[in-house]
Amino acid sequence: MAKSDREGDGMLDLLKAAVSGAAGYAEIRYHKREQTSIEAKNGRLARVERRTLAGAGVRCLMDGCWGFVSTTDVTPGGLRKAISEAVEAAQIGAELRREKAVLAPAKLAQGEFVYYDSAGEPSIGEKIQAVMAAEKRVRERSSLIVASSVRYLQYEDEKYIVTSDGAAAHILDNKPSFHVIATAGRGDQLEMAIKSWGVTGSWKDLLDKTSLDKATNDAADLAVRKLGAGYVRGGQYTVILDPMLVGVLSHEAIGHTVEADFVQAGSVVQGKIGQKVASDMITMVDDGTMAGAAGMVLADDEGVLGQRTVIIDRGILRDYLHSRESAQTFGAEPHGNARAFTYGDEPLIRMTNTCILPGTDNLDQMIAGIDDGLLLREMGTGGGQADSTAEFMFGVAEGYVINHGKLGELVKGITISGQAFEVLQSVDAVSSDFVCSLGAGHCGKWQPAKVDSGGPYLRCRVTVGGRHE
Amino acid sequence: MHLDLCDDLVRRALAQGAADAEVFYRKVRKLEAMFEKNDLQVPKGDTYEGVGIRVLLGGSNGARLGFAATNLLTPESLENALSAAIAIAHASPEDANHSLPEPAPAKPVLGIYDQSAEELTLRDALDQGRLMLEAARGADPRVTLDSAMYTIEVSEKAIVSSRGVRLSEKRSLFVCQAMAFARDGETVSSFDMEVGASSRMSGMDPAALGRRLGEKVVATLGATTIPSFRGAVIIAPYAGMDLIVSPITFSSDAENVQTGRSKWKGMLGAQVLSPLLSVIDDPSIPGGASSTAFDREGVPARRLELVKDGVLNHYLYNCYTARKDGVASNGRAAGTDQNTPSIAPTNFAIAPGERSLDEMMAACSKGLIVNRFSGNLDEVSGDFSGVVKGGYYVEAGKIVCPVREAMIAGNIYDLLRQVTGVSRESVEIADIRLPYVQFDGCSVTGKQ
Repeated sequence: MAKSDREGDGMLDLLKAAVSGAAGYAEIRYHKREQTSIEAKNGRLARVERRTLAGAGVRCLMDGCWGFVSTTDVTPGGLRKAISEAVEAAQIGAELRREKAVLAPAKLAQGEFVYYDSAGEPSIGEKIQAVMAAEKRVRERSSLIVASSVRYLQYEDEKYIVTSDGAAAHILDNKPSFHVIATAGRGDQLEMAIKSWGVTGSWKDLLDKTSLDKATNDAADLAVRKLGAGYVRGGQYTVILDPMLVGVLSHEAIGHTVEADFVQAGSVVQGKIGQKVASDMITMVDDGTMAGAAGMVLADDEGVLGQRTVIIDRGILRDYLHSRESAQTFGAEPHGNARAFTYGDEPLIRMTNTCILPGTDNLDQMIAGIDDGLLLREMGTGGGQADSTAEFMFGVAEGYVINHGKLGELVKGITISGQAFEVLQSVDAVSSDFVCSLGAGHCGKWQPAKVDSGGPYLRCRVTVGGRHE
Repeated sequence: MHLDLCDDLVRRALAQGAADAEVFYRKVRKLEAMFEKNDLQVPKGDTYEGVGIRVLLGGSNGARLGFAATNLLTPESLENALSAAIAIAHASPEDANHSLPEPAPAKPVLGIYDQSAEELTLRDALDQGRLMLEAARGADPRVTLDSAMYTIEVSEKAIVSSRGVRLSEKRSLFVCQAMAFARDGETVSSFDMEVGASSRMSGMDPAALGRRLGEKVVATLGATTIPSFRGAVIIAPYAGMDLIVSPITFSSDAENVQTGRSKWKGMLGAQVLSPLLSVIDDPSIPGGASSTAFDREGVPARRLELVKDGVLNHYLYNCYTARKDGVASNGRAAGTDQNTPSIAPTNFAIAPGERSLDEMMAACSKGLIVNRFSGNLDEVSGDFSGVVKGGYYVEAGKIVCPVREAMIAGNIYDLLRQVTGVSRESVEIADIRLPYVQFDGCSVTGKQ
């Protein structure tokens, strides 16, 4: 899949030549995506699709206004036409736009950012076999399994990005993921369990993170155990959140509030840089350089080098997430958070891998320190919501009662809610573990984006809702 | 010309060993003006052209299906897509329900292609968007247009198959969407939205849309909390998109019926909704936003009375699910060149009722008008719970105040069987037309 160096230089030269003809700032992103999806459900191969989606997204900034044109014609003539249309769009838009956009300086990406070699990938036929075999294993794990599905999704992305002020990058990466869903039934009772994970890397990297055998067994076993599990009464609890729930909290409840465009629109962290927003045991980062994580972005879609942003440093809010335009407004530095899903999308401020950093506590001791509480694992099947005020409500997949420091029975139907910063203020223990496991699925914000999230185990206070509230 | 490209690909697929093949072609030119925070954000232009190739290989127990798509119409990329589709078919199991439909005449729909749209430019999209922005803000300076867009789309689709299907259709679509809120000092209203769509530019009035949206959000300033009560809940059309359209569409989707997820399995001819509800799915409406002569598989799409006086008459089928049930597809295959056919309705409407909205409100001793709903709805079980946005509290037949932090919960399938009122008035939201629908005996959880 990777072009030879000579071809690659050819593409970069082509883009540089086109960009040099523009008056103001110009940026061309050639992006070719090969997407593969395979889904097996309830004993049949439900869907297999292979798609190629390729073209160039051209952005020009003239008189403080953007113009964006996307096209599949990447001949020199086609690119010149796209640039002149984007310039014209920007000029017409400038008549209407009031606030002028200016770009902050940035560390621009130059050279090769290749993180994938397709030579080692199994054939599509082998992948189909693997997905079908996995679905069969879920179904046959227990006689109580009434529905099963396994879905594989892969994005293979190759990009060439050139800007008129010096970015010139070739990027090649691969983001595969698995979703395993098991439904168990007894009488008219139904319970569902999901195991999903994603990486930036190869098929082998994906299976090294979690094997299909383990995922299918765990999903089926959990669905069956939930049939016999009870509920808890709602109320305020001391809980331990597992790394996946820590990731959900970090990404969903906090991460969006610190995206600079939402800050400008009035999110809860507006004007709070330098203030204490969490316990001093909490440091939260957004880091596109995290090797192998599903949100890995070595160079973003504005040609800015991927770098780590320290959002919260030992409880103090330090930084928002920026594009070059918002960084200029806030007097900050962009760290590679401007991302576009396909060639036809314009870059927006997005997260990459958003995590809380590990501490020094020990999980067993954290459990032993709880008299009456819960250990909560993984996000539930009902999803959740969060607000610009950082108020959130999420479903939880598994809960375990903690009584006098001892782990007890499984409970289900749990939701957690609260205000995310208040929850982080209440943290009194942070384990030394570190897992990023929110890499399957997509973040939504007008366009999808592949992200990841996670951290250690945290002990904190939240409002727990039972299912029948 | 595009049909020629499709013909050629079908021929080549057969030459490579396919028993049957289908090529779906799509071409789109899009002009878009995007606004954020009362300001123009970015004008966007896009041209797209792509093909999706389905091939079927023969087998004794059914065909094996492969699919690949590409928007790079170079000889190399087209050859790669053909090879990929065939390789996938070879690696897939036989399935007796895979088939392509036989050709049938598809009656063209009137009014869906405005040829003058071909001459429009980005400036036209910007001008129309500006009308909307100025109208929303002009009526009341407290209004903030949080995000909005005006889109002009001119497209063509074509489909050719080895069975003899050979159809094409052009269309133009103008869409205007906006989200806004109002701020008066420290008081902030909730968000509200407006959506409009038409096949002609003159079929939509962005200024009127902007004005309507501005009025809606200003009216909910100063919303207060209310005590919990049991009474009537009137679902307004925008809330109906989530609470009413979504579960009906889900439960009538033949794939959900066949995989055991729909409550309407085995219910054809039975009462599934209140007798006050009739649901029509009509792709032949002249100028309709989702009107079309044929579906994703080239099956002619005809009007369906999905539900009549609460009795379920039809499931929504594509060819795969139709074959499985031993019936003919009713033309509800959906999707683009980039995916295999799924299932979706076209222009969806719930028939208006007898009473006016004013009469319905006047008869409420205690009620809540739900303008938008923000929460969860499980389409399998029908359980829902969430917050009412932009709602109004009604007491003794009169609107008392706009409401905040009120929650409703329940089971939508139970409620849809117990509808007590359907308004005469309907609102068109793009390709959906809904009246106001009332349920009695609901629990509303307030904060007081």
